[in-house]
Amino acid sequence: MPETRSRRLPIGGVEGWLLVVIALIVAYLSIATDTFLTLVNVFDILNYSAVNVIFAAGLLVVLIAGGIDISFAVGASVVQYLAVTALGRIGGGDWALGIALSLVLGACLGAINAALIYHFRIISIVVTIATFNLFFGLLMFFTGGVSIYDLPDWLSSRVVLYDVETDLGWAEITLPVLVMVVTVFATWLLLRRTSLGRQLFAMGDNTEGARRLGINLGAMHYLAYGWLGACAGLAGLMQAHYAREVVPNALYGRELEVLAAVVLGGARLGGGRGTLFGAILGLALVSITQNGLNLLGVSPYAFRMIIGFVILVAISLSGETIGLVASRLRGPKAAGSVR
Amino acid sequence: MMFAMTTRRALMAAAAGLAFAVAGPAFAQDGKKPTIGVVVKIGGIPWFNAMEVGIKKKSEELGVNGFMIGPTSADPALQVRAVEDLIAQGVDVIGVVPNDAQVLEPVLARAMKAGIKVITHESPKQENVDWDFELASVQGFGEAYGKQLAEKMGGKGKYAVFVGSLTVPLHNAWADAAIAYLKKNNPEMELVGDRYGVAEDVDASRRTALDLMRAHPDLKGFLAFGSQGPIGAARAVEERRMGGKIVVLGPFSPGQGRKLVHDGILTGGYMWNPMQAGEVFVTLGKMLIDGKEIKDGMEIEGLGTIHPDMEGKDIIVDQLVNINDETVDKLAEMGL
Repeated sequence: MPETRSRRLPIGGVEGWLLVVIALIVAYLSIATDTFLTLVNVFDILNYSAVNVIFAAGLLVVLIAGGIDISFAVGASVVQYLAVTALGRIGGGDWALGIALSLVLGACLGAINAALIYHFRIISIVVTIATFNLFFGLLMFFTGGVSIYDLPDWLSSRVVLYDVETDLGWAEITLPVLVMVVTVFATWLLLRRTSLGRQLFAMGDNTEGARRLGINLGAMHYLAYGWLGACAGLAGLMQAHYAREVVPNALYGRELEVLAAVVLGGARLGGGRGTLFGAILGLALVSITQNGLNLLGVSPYAFRMIIGFVILVAISLSGETIGLVASRLRGPKAAGSVR
Repeated sequence: MMFAMTTRRALMAAAAGLAFAVAGPAFAQDGKKPTIGVVVKIGGIPWFNAMEVGIKKKSEELGVNGFMIGPTSADPALQVRAVEDLIAQGVDVIGVVPNDAQVLEPVLARAMKAGIKVITHESPKQENVDWDFELASVQGFGEAYGKQLAEKMGGKGKYAVFVGSLTVPLHNAWADAAIAYLKKNNPEMELVGDRYGVAEDVDASRRTALDLMRAHPDLKGFLAFGSQGPIGAARAVEERRMGGKIVVLGPFSPGQGRKLVHDGILTGGYMWNPMQAGEVFVTLGKMLIDGKEIKDGMEIEGLGTIHPDMEGKDIIVDQLVNINDETVDKLAEMGL
């Protein structure tokens, strides 16, 4: 978007500062441990962050469009259950069918949110708190909290795309990483290379202005929430794939973790601003810190304290935040013009 | 976001308070089936599903209305709210498997004041209870694991310990016992880091196990106390293609871990039967409702002969079940 591109840095301020903080942490960990900067460890971080990144890509679209969604993680659990049960009924299925089914089911759940938000004019956070409880409640009610351990073979066997044996053991890139890359790329295309993406930004930044320009707000709502739903469905499938079981509350609580990371990466709650790069950096900061603490052998009793501290440092360093606070003090109208 | 959450919480607390005021005296009703509500750590995981089966089965047998409440996450605050709800409903017995012993103390005191019998499980020395029962003694359970870990690791090498959360008293007490045993009897075995509070979450256990194998390439064993910990650690070991080279021990749900045990990745462990624990909740609750006194040397179904600690209000027995390649299928068939 022009407003972020025209800054001094080639990337936005938040992303720049996050990058600096991450670089510092990486530099420190590379010196302090002899295992951090190894292929195996880097691949490990990629493998276990993949599901969160897929969630984050979808959530970013909704945040840019000016909404918020906290139902997506439990939505993903619902998709896991429905997809695995349906596939079991028809005799197993395969990857193509599994992915298609997850995308469609996820998008349908997203569409429910979009319909409630757009047609009934209810604030998105209220709707998604309600659907969060509704989805999870329905899931618990119908499954009775029973997990599924018997997944189809194609879903539960590990798919290793690239592996190499190093001194430290096998370094592997697994399927979730590929799915993550594809999802991020598709989301980037949507947001940055299509007019639909521009319309999403416009709606998030100034809904009334977007309406007067003739942007179809209803369609945009379905697009944003449907996209997140589809991403969540895919993330759910990937989580079931590597966990090799479907547990109804496995993803419960993931929504706040992802939301915090995406906002940390510079997406504005309120719409119109946010980048994929920032969202990924936000997640990377938390994942790398956690990983580093384990490698350093820091006492787990101190984990949360340190992660909270790192997030605070990253946010305070960003000039964007300081500017934001200053402009907020001057009033909402002034804040609009600064950006 | 946070504002909305706190508002919601405040509203719910207010609603619960209102319900309490209205329904408070209802527990004195006569002629109705006695009710027993059991609040567990978290709903929807196999361990507590099995416990629920036990509660239901025994309740039917004894003619009481027994049910289980499973919070959506292992959060002590959710348990407090669930207990408050049970007080408001006026149940006769409240059973709890605490996430955090201390957080629950005040609300359990309130339950007792309202004339409700309180039973806890997996929380020895809990304050404000009529009785706490354990199907395994802390010492016995922890040492059994320490012994097996030493045996499988050949008495030397590095190992890591997971617990459900750093504030679960029982998991930490087991870990203490196991670590103390190993320190004393196998000085060549070395504990890596402090203990990690990830074992109620399969993803977190897997991630932490991967990190630890990375940090300590010569790691030879995982000891995970918490139902998801052994599974998560075993998945990580499988991913690193270290099956059989790294020992993974811990109490887990046999149905969930069956395949991993047969593949030789999950070494095994000891457990007690959560279904049996569910039954004991009801048996013990019914005895308390009927005013039966708990005495030394008496026999209780599901517990065997008991020697209760009258001061600490603990009933501790050792009813360990070994999970291994041979027993896992049988245990899994029980729905565990």
